[in-house]
Amino acid sequence: MGFLGVLIRNLVAGPSTDPFPFGETFTPATLRGRVEYHPADCVACRACEQVCVGGAIRFDKTPEGLRFLLWHDSCTFCGLCAFYCPTEGITLTDDWHLAHPQSRKFAMVEEGTIPTIRCAACGAQALATAPAAALFDHPPTPAEVEEMRSYCPRCRRKVAAERKAS
Amino acid sequence: MSTFTIPVGPLHVALEEPMYFKVEVEGETVRNVEITAGHVHRGVEYLTTKRTIFQNITLTERICSLCSNSHPEAYCMAIEQIAGIAVSERAESLRVMASEIKRIASHLFNVAILAHLVGFDTLFMQVMETREIVQDLKETLFGNRMDIGANCIGGVRFDLDSKGLSYLAAQLLRLEPQLDEIVRHYRTNTSILRRTRGVGVLDRAAAVDCAVVGPVARASGIAYDVRTKAPYSAYDKLDVPVHTLEDGDVWSRALVRLAEAKTAIDVLRQCAAHLPEGPTGPRERPDVPAGQAIAKCEAPRGELIYYVRTDGSRCPERVKWRVPSFMNWDALRVMLADAKVADISLIVSSIDPCISCTER
Repeated sequence: MGFLGVLIRNLVAGPSTDPFPFGETFTPATLRGRVEYHPADCVACRACEQVCVGGAIRFDKTPEGLRFLLWHDSCTFCGLCAFYCPTEGITLTDDWHLAHPQSRKFAMVEEGTIPTIRCAACGAQALATAPAAALFDHPPTPAEVEEMRSYCPRCRRKVAAERKAS
Repeated sequence: MSTFTIPVGPLHVALEEPMYFKVEVEGETVRNVEITAGHVHRGVEYLTTKRTIFQNITLTERICSLCSNSHPEAYCMAIEQIAGIAVSERAESLRVMASEIKRIASHLFNVAILAHLVGFDTLFMQVMETREIVQDLKETLFGNRMDIGANCIGGVRFDLDSKGLSYLAAQLLRLEPQLDEIVRHYRTNTSILRRTRGVGVLDRAAAVDCAVVGPVARASGIAYDVRTKAPYSAYDKLDVPVHTLEDGDVWSRALVRLAEAKTAIDVLRQCAAHLPEGPTGPRERPDVPAGQAIAKCEAPRGELIYYVRTDGSRCPERVKWRVPSFMNWDALRVMLADAKVADISLIVSSIDPCISCTER
C-alpha cells in the first residue's frame, strides 16, 4: 500500500493547482505588487529614493514641480519605500499583473508631480507638499491640511508656531 | 580497470546550481573529486559597500532565495550592535517566527529535491504541494513567497494581528498531518531507503574535521545549533530541541531536516502563544556610527556569520559573510569517496548547497 493510498486520495480530491488564467488565483490583500504614488500625501522627504536599492525611484525638478518617477522594471517590490514613508505617500498594491511585452517596458512607470505654487502668505515659490505632522498639535482636518499646503516652508512654521502659541 | 575523468557541471541536469566537479571514476565508482567554484560570482559583497546601510537590508535579502530571511536578519543584528539599538521583545519573537517559517519551506524544498533525484517524482510533487501551505502563509503574512522582507534595522517590518495569528494557526494545523505523512514515507518507502541509506556517509570524526554546520553536522551526531549554543532574538525563551542522528548518510540528513521542520511548527506555536505586546520596528532611520560587529544566526543550512564595519558614513565600509554551504561543501570530498556515479547528484543535494550564497 504505502504511497498508493496517497495517489487514490489525490485522484478523488482533484487538481490542487489554481485554474489560472481561466479562473482566479490565490492573491492575499497583503501581497507586495504594483507600487502606487500619492502626490497629495507626499512630504517630499525623499526617504523612498534613499532606501530603494534598485534605484527604481527618482525625483527630478520639472517646470511644473517636483516629479516622482518609479520604474517597475527596476523595482524589487521589497516595500522598504512604503515602510520608511512617513505619510503613506507611497504604497504597494496587491496587483501582480506586471507581465508586459518588451515594447512596453518604459511604460511600466508610476509617476506623479508635486506642483510648484506661490506661497499664499509671502508669494515665494514653493512646493505644495503635504504638511508634516509636527506642524500640528492635533490631528489636522482636511481643510487645515489644504491651507498649510498653500504656504511655503517658512510661512508654515510661522503659522504653526502662532497657532500652537494661541 | 582503467580510470577516466567525468566533468559534472557547472551546468548539468543533475545539479540544481552551477558548480563544477571533476570526478575521476574507476568503473562506476568515484575515486577522486575536484570541486571548482566561482561560476556565479556577482560581486554582491563589493556592492554592499556601494549601497547605503538601509538599501543593504534589501540587497542582502537578494543574495539567496531560500535563506533570504537569514541574511538580512544577521545583517540587521550586526548593524543594531554597532548602533546600540535595542530590539523590542515583540519584534524579537516576530523575527523568530519569520525565520522558522522560512526554515520549514527551505527544508521541505530540499527533501522534495531528494525524492526527485531518487526518481520518485510523485513524492517530489507531494512534498512540494505540502510546501505550498507554507508558501501561501508567507505570501499572506509578508506579501511575497520567497523574499519576505521581514526585517528592518531595529526590529521587523510586519506585525501579526489576531487575523494573521489565526491564519498562521490554521495553516500549521493543515501542515502538521501532511508533514507527519511525509516523514512516514521517508522512513518506510523502500525506493527512498535503498537509494539514501548508507550513501554519502560523513562520520562524526570526519564531520568534526570538515567543521560542517547545520543539518549536515547534526546528521553526523554533532549537536551544534546556533539557536541553542548562542541564542539570539527570542530563542533563549523558547524550547528548541536539537535533532541529531548518528549515521551521517543522505537519509539521516533528510530526516534531520524533516524533524527540524516539525520542530519549527512547535516553535511557531510557542511564539504565537506568548507574543509580547510592544512596538515592532522603528520607522525612522537611526544614525549608525562608526564601528564593527559580528552577528550570527542559524540559517536553514546552518550557521550564518555576518561581519559589518561602518565608518559613520551612509554606506558600510565592509560587509563580509560566511555562509554554511562554504563549510559544508568541503565535506563533499569525504562523502563522494567511493560513491557510485549515480549517487553523485543525490550526495551533492544532501548538503543542500547554496551556491549563490557562497559565491555571491
